Amino acid sequence: MAKKVGAYICTGCGIGDALDIEALAKVATKEKKLAICKNHPFLCGSEGCELIKQDIQEGLDGVVIAACSQRVNTDVFNFGPSVVVERVNLREQCIWCHPANDEDTQMLAEDQLRMGIVKAQQMEPPEPYKAEDISRTVLVVGGGLAGVTAALEAARAGYPVVLVEKNAELGGWVARLHKQVSQRPPYNELEDVDLADRIKEVRENANIKIYTSAQIEKIAGGPGIFDVTIRQNGTTANERVGAVVLATGAVPYDATKLGHLGFGRYPNVITGDALEEMAARGKIVRPSDGREVRSVAFILCAGSRDPEHLPYCSSVCCIESLKQALYVKQQNPDAAVYIFFKDLRAPGTYEFLYKRVQTEGVVFFRGEVAAVTEGGNQTLVVEADDVLAGEKIVAEDLDLVVLATGMVPTTAFGEAPAVEEEKKEEEGPPPDVILKSDILNLEYRQGPELPTLRYGFPDSHFICFPYETRRTGIYAAGAVRAPMDIPSTVRDATGAALKAIQCIELTAQGSAVHPRVWDFSYPEFSLQRCTQCKRCTVECPFGAINEDEKTYPLPNPTRCRRCGTCMGACPERLISFKNYSVGMIGSMIKTIEVPEEDEEKPRIVVLACENDAYPALDMAGINRLQLSPWIRVIPLRCLGSTNLIWIADALSKGIDGILLLGCKHGDDYQCHFVKGSELASYRLGKIAETLNRLALESDRVRMEQVSIMDYHRIPQIIEDFAKRLEEVGPNPYKGF
Amino acid sequence: MTKVNPNFGKKLKKFGAETVYHCFHCGNCTAVCPLSTDEHQFPRRFMRYVQVGMEDKIKHSLEPWLCYYCGDCQTACPRQANPGEVMMSLRRYLTSLYDWTGLARKLYTSMAWKVILVGLLFFGTLAVVYGFSGPMVTERVELETFAPAHIVHPVGIVFGTVLAVLLLSNVYRMYRMVIGNTRIPANVYLQEVMTLVVHFLTQIRMGMCTNKSRWIKHLLLMTGYLLAFLLVNVDVFTAWSLTNEPPPWYHPAKILWTYASIAMLYATLDFMFGRLRKKDAWHQYSHSTDWMFLLLLFGTIATGILVRLFMEWDLPLPTYHTFAFHLAFTVPLLGLEVPFTKWSHLAYRPFAMYFARLKERTIQLQQETQTEVAA
Repeated sequence: MAKKVGAYICTGCGIGDALDIEALAKVATKEKKLAICKNHPFLCGSEGCELIKQDIQEGLDGVVIAACSQRVNTDVFNFGPSVVVERVNLREQCIWCHPANDEDTQMLAEDQLRMGIVKAQQMEPPEPYKAEDISRTVLVVGGGLAGVTAALEAARAGYPVVLVEKNAELGGWVARLHKQVSQRPPYNELEDVDLADRIKEVRENANIKIYTSAQIEKIAGGPGIFDVTIRQNGTTANERVGAVVLATGAVPYDATKLGHLGFGRYPNVITGDALEEMAARGKIVRPSDGREVRSVAFILCAGSRDPEHLPYCSSVCCIESLKQALYVKQQNPDAAVYIFFKDLRAPGTYEFLYKRVQTEGVVFFRGEVAAVTEGGNQTLVVEADDVLAGEKIVAEDLDLVVLATGMVPTTAFGEAPAVEEEKKEEEGPPPDVILKSDILNLEYRQGPELPTLRYGFPDSHFICFPYETRRTGIYAAGAVRAPMDIPSTVRDATGAALKAIQCIELTAQGSAVHPRVWDFSYPEFSLQRCTQCKRCTVECPFGAINEDEKTYPLPNPTRCRRCGTCMGACPERLISFKNYSVGMIGSMIKTIEVPEEDEEKPRIVVLACENDAYPALDMAGINRLQLSPWIRVIPLRCLGSTNLIWIADALSKGIDGILLLGCKHGDDYQCHFVKGSELASYRLGKIAETLNRLALESDRVRMEQVSIMDYHRIPQIIEDFAKRLEEVGPNPYKGF
Repeated sequence: MTKVNPNFGKKLKKFGAETVYHCFHCGNCTAVCPLSTDEHQFPRRFMRYVQVGMEDKIKHSLEPWLCYYCGDCQTACPRQANPGEVMMSLRRYLTSLYDWTGLARKLYTSMAWKVILVGLLFFGTLAVVYGFSGPMVTERVELETFAPAHIVHPVGIVFGTVLAVLLLSNVYRMYRMVIGNTRIPANVYLQEVMTLVVHFLTQIRMGMCTNKSRWIKHLLLMTGYLLAFLLVNVDVFTAWSLTNEPPPWYHPAKILWTYASIAMLYATLDFMFGRLRKKDAWHQYSHSTDWMFLLLLFGTIATGILVRLFMEWDLPLPTYHTFAFHLAFTVPLLGLEVPFTKWSHLAYRPFAMYFARLKERTIQLQQETQTEVAA
């Protein structure tokens, strides 16, 4: 706990003109009995900082900066690891969105300062968690294009790499292709696959240790200290690695399920994959009699974008089919080649390939394929709707029908673990889907593989956090993450290798990884009072908490992302960070001055997610939008860290309402910690009953989903809530 | 259910459609076309018919004749699929289809046939002229003595009749193909005759294209030719304009001849230079038959003008020889172009408008009867 706390009020940026600084200082000195409370017209300037530094030299270990938002000047107000700093937002969220020299604005500023001081008084400087024997090795699982690229990139950056490949040879899927589309002008040529050079470099790089015909038997530990057991030819090897790149790729959709397109029924209906193999061997022939083909039909989206099969688009089958159409045309320019498609995707430079295929005389048919049947002499007949001519058409005398099947990630196979009985009964957010695909075999309490969101792809927020999975230190790259083409896979693998290196370096420093890279705190458990309720182990979005033999939580600090979801989950409130705890936020709520009922000044506590909602509030201030004077904003690491005791604290204090502002949740979540806002909303659902029982209206607690761009909605959201509270009436507990 | 026919695209290549598979059906061509309507949509739809090989659809269509090839589609096409040229190829293809003799197809698709037929008619005509002509009077110009009217006129009448029969029989085949079994009330045929006349004489539809100058030039050529044609035919009976003694400049026949000569010469030269420059969209692509037409036309006009000039200057021998060559150009021009190739559009275009109106009117009438019955 900070023993000696000083408060520093900046009077710059108009703060001094809008507020009664003297009265504000009295809160610190008289009410909170701080020895030091100074003001300065330019606190973030060198003179202002010097003022603070001098006091620190004289023994100050806690600093409250009452100035601008905590999101700016973080470097300026950083006084080293031994000094705790708490920021009180007098600028963006006080004078910029409330009238100057107003009684209510002054009350707001004073409350914000009170909250800052009590928090600072309880904060301690975090001591970084340093695991022993940290490894800087990157484990790459999968030796295809993505894996080989990731291994190479990490090794080139100076990190040792362990590469594990299931097959006897490196190269994976791409090595089996006959040709690839050139990525150089004029972008419409086919060229040999250029994977051999990469594989050679990997083999020759002394920093890369390769296990072929090998599989991961077990991964224990966490970032920096993953202990990997590799099974190879009946023997096992152990490796300690710092981070993992998952690059196990995808496989084509099972064509035997595509009987309606003739697969399995007619020998001359094949998959694009089989055509690729045939082309690599030499001639493209009819499988039934080995005669060279004179007419070929490609059916795109075979099983893709189809709710019965693969509901999604695999993004590359179009390009592959265009390429294969050229194989046929190159073998026999007079061959009739038809492409049946629902929609054709040839983005970027692939447009040139599409154009070339068109000029070679390939005919494209847009519409649904109605039937594939057999005509005389084992030729095939395709019936389809042709949207462009508005007619039903039939293509006869086809030697070959090629089905462009989509990609299924290797993580999509394997059964889902049975949902535990106890979980079923509880009403809560849907449990994570973890398929036992036998790829990583993680020793994590929540399951052996990466949680998936949909279709078996590892869950990752593809805009904010590409490559990141829901297991810290494990980064997915290539087709296992999302269907992608060759250039995208190379970029993806490079990005994932970089993320793995970042993770290793940050873990070695004891820091959290993205999105809390500067954070050296980690959750501490006081297990004496633990009731083994398992809420923390179940709810941690990142599977950071295992269980020991006695079913007590067993935290793995290097897996932790410091969101505080466990802290919010714990009914016994025994999980806390050095600088963020249930008690600290509780004290902040309790220190708010609640006017008597007859003063008609209601109070609303706003618990705002630091990642989107808090910046949105700042943006509201920057845009000088006026907010209700009744709000008192408390930033939270994530709404997932919301502990229900805070609601009780606030209501028993006489506060009229609590508003939670957090990120969008659900399938297209924007929560930076995946599950935080969803868990918060689920917890609020539980408290509603309790409130009603205590004759307290459940309407006093409301949760809203906002993104950073919703700042213009903030005044209305608060206004609507205040209006509802007015209807409900003042909190009956005022004055108790 | 239409069968996909990949050979049709190959076939149409010979008629000039090289780029039809480049089309990806954005529909810009149809959107910018000033002539395309809801009832008659083109060219996009026809790009598709060709790609898929829907010969049947094309056979029964009027749309290729409703396109006047302003080239706006070609300029707007993002794929350089040249929809205007594809429509042009379809007109060539349809011409070959309407023609029952099969000569049209040979002329369009075979260079050998073109050379042989033109050569045959050209040199055949020369042989006939020099073989059957009268004596060449050298004292003064006596064209009538060289080419006696009692031979030239009957031959001309027979030739003209044969051509007319060929062309009209082709028009009838066109009628069968596009109207098919549709029952059209007899009085509608009569009521719409004006459509035929107006479009034949004015090509007013071409004036709806964005570029109006093309229409004016076409009108010059067309009026010039029509005038020349009429004057020649008047001469067959009256020798009004073609006299051994050149008439004075104010003679109406002379004024009309002068107009016809200048108009045709200007238009023909302009078209030839246009096709060489390839600046305008409609001149970018030239089929061999386009050049065949223009060269024969130019030969005819040039020799025709020279004959008049030589007569004017009283140069007997050049007059006779030039006249022989004039006939040598005219016979293949009329004999091959009018019933079989490019020039046949003089009939197909107005008739296409006529047939389109017949169909529209019939549908209108049917709807009216239906509403009456319903009422």
